[in-house]
Amino acid sequence: MAVAFVLVAILVALLVFVGWLFNRMVRLRNEADTGWANIDVQLKRRNDLIPNIVETVKGYAAHERGTFEAVTQARAAVARAQSPAAAGEADGLLTAAIGRLFAVAEAYPELKASENFLQLQNELSATEDKIAAARRYYNATVLRFNNAIQTFPAVLLARAFGFARREFFAAAAGERELPAVSFQS
Amino acid sequence: MTLQQQIRANRFRTFLVLVAFGLLIASIAGAVYTLYNVGVGALVLGIGVAYGIYAYISSGRMVAQLTGAHPVTREEWPEVYHLIDTVSIAAGMEAAPPLYVVDDPAPNAFAAGRTPATSYVVVTRGLLDEMSKRELEGVLAHEVSHIRNRDVRLMTLAAVLVGVVALISDLLARLLYFGGGGGGRRRGGGSQGWILLVLAIVTIILAPLAAVMIQMSLSRRREYLADASAAEITNDPEGLALALRRLELDQQELRHVSQATAHLYIETPLRNASGPAKLVAGLFNTHPPLAARIGVLEEAGGFRLPATLPAKDDVEAAGA
Repeated sequence: MAVAFVLVAILVALLVFVGWLFNRMVRLRNEADTGWANIDVQLKRRNDLIPNIVETVKGYAAHERGTFEAVTQARAAVARAQSPAAAGEADGLLTAAIGRLFAVAEAYPELKASENFLQLQNELSATEDKIAAARRYYNATVLRFNNAIQTFPAVLLARAFGFARREFFAAAAGERELPAVSFQS
Repeated sequence: MTLQQQIRANRFRTFLVLVAFGLLIASIAGAVYTLYNVGVGALVLGIGVAYGIYAYISSGRMVAQLTGAHPVTREEWPEVYHLIDTVSIAAGMEAAPPLYVVDDPAPNAFAAGRTPATSYVVVTRGLLDEMSKRELEGVLAHEVSHIRNRDVRLMTLAAVLVGVVALISDLLARLLYFGGGGGGRRRGGGSQGWILLVLAIVTIILAPLAAVMIQMSLSRRREYLADASAAEITNDPEGLALALRRLELDQQELRHVSQATAHLYIETPLRNASGPAKLVAGLFNTHPPLAARIGVLEEAGGFRLPATLPAKDDVEAAGA
């Protein structure tokens, strides 16, 4: 009788523990999903800005066709990207292409002085700051989620419940690592 | 401690704070009952409870009034709003909190509000004038962390409740001083009555002290945690450390500040106090020393700050 009681108690404790692990993994996965949605919003916002910028530069430097094409293609690649890693890679290419576009703009003083161009440039750089911020949050949530599902004992349950590793939103080299900060004092 | 644990702990402490303040108000009412009569005691209790409920509901607005903060629109401060937008995104907040300003040349900042959705971040005019963009970002990240960690509700509530206990005790102390309990009754008459009278007076004097101790116990560790969160959010512990060093070097004092709201600020606004206020501020420091906080950030980021800092304009010129 007593043995049965102890066994039931152990079983209940085990179930509670499994439930806690499961809830924790679900919560961290939802955080990572929110983090990804935040990046997506900012990427779309930037993609909406780019055609305006390309058109403005075209007005002054119509013959720089190769540069415009590179930007347009990179923009389409970001829009097409299905996974965070692919989006991260496309994002890197787009940033480089936009950099070249602005380098072209440098050669046209009237364009550089244009009110419209300056405003678009400011908006673009503000959006890029936000993409960087959203990336920091997303990558932090992914790190937490991946740690949670790959460590013992959650790793025993993760596969059974269908929790799979998340990809980081690939950043430029050196930006990805978060500093190991310990503030226990 | 994870974010979830801290949020849960904060919820529990909010409850404890409410209970503790309820007990304080009850003991004051008890003291009044001893000194005067049941009617006055019940009145104090009633006012205390009613004010507590009112304070809980409208604490955010009250703190803005107490500190003289007023809202600023996005059009007025596009650059500061851009900073707080990016910081909020990096913190994983649903929306960026609105900004308020206090017209004061002393640099300081705090966050207040009852829920994350109704919280706001306050900076002084002096903070904007003295801090470079990088330092300002660190300060804003510190305040946004307080909101995200659900520190603000607890701290806002503590501010209003410390205020009410101080107010009631102050009022009663004046009554005692001028009236000497006249018009009331002396219970029992003999020595027992005198003991009760002394106890009542001691309660009235000690109540605000107890309130401040509750307030103090809430804020010290919270500042380290918010510093750590801010460093993670901006990925730049040095920026926040520079901001703290600038606050340390600054000698100006906020004009509109009281013991009740002291714990809200990023650095203690009372350190230059003199007389009895200084004694209280020293005994019950609501903040860890800035040097210690800078030291923790230095260790985490692996850098050393110089003892003095160049002026904001030189920093921005070098960065541009």
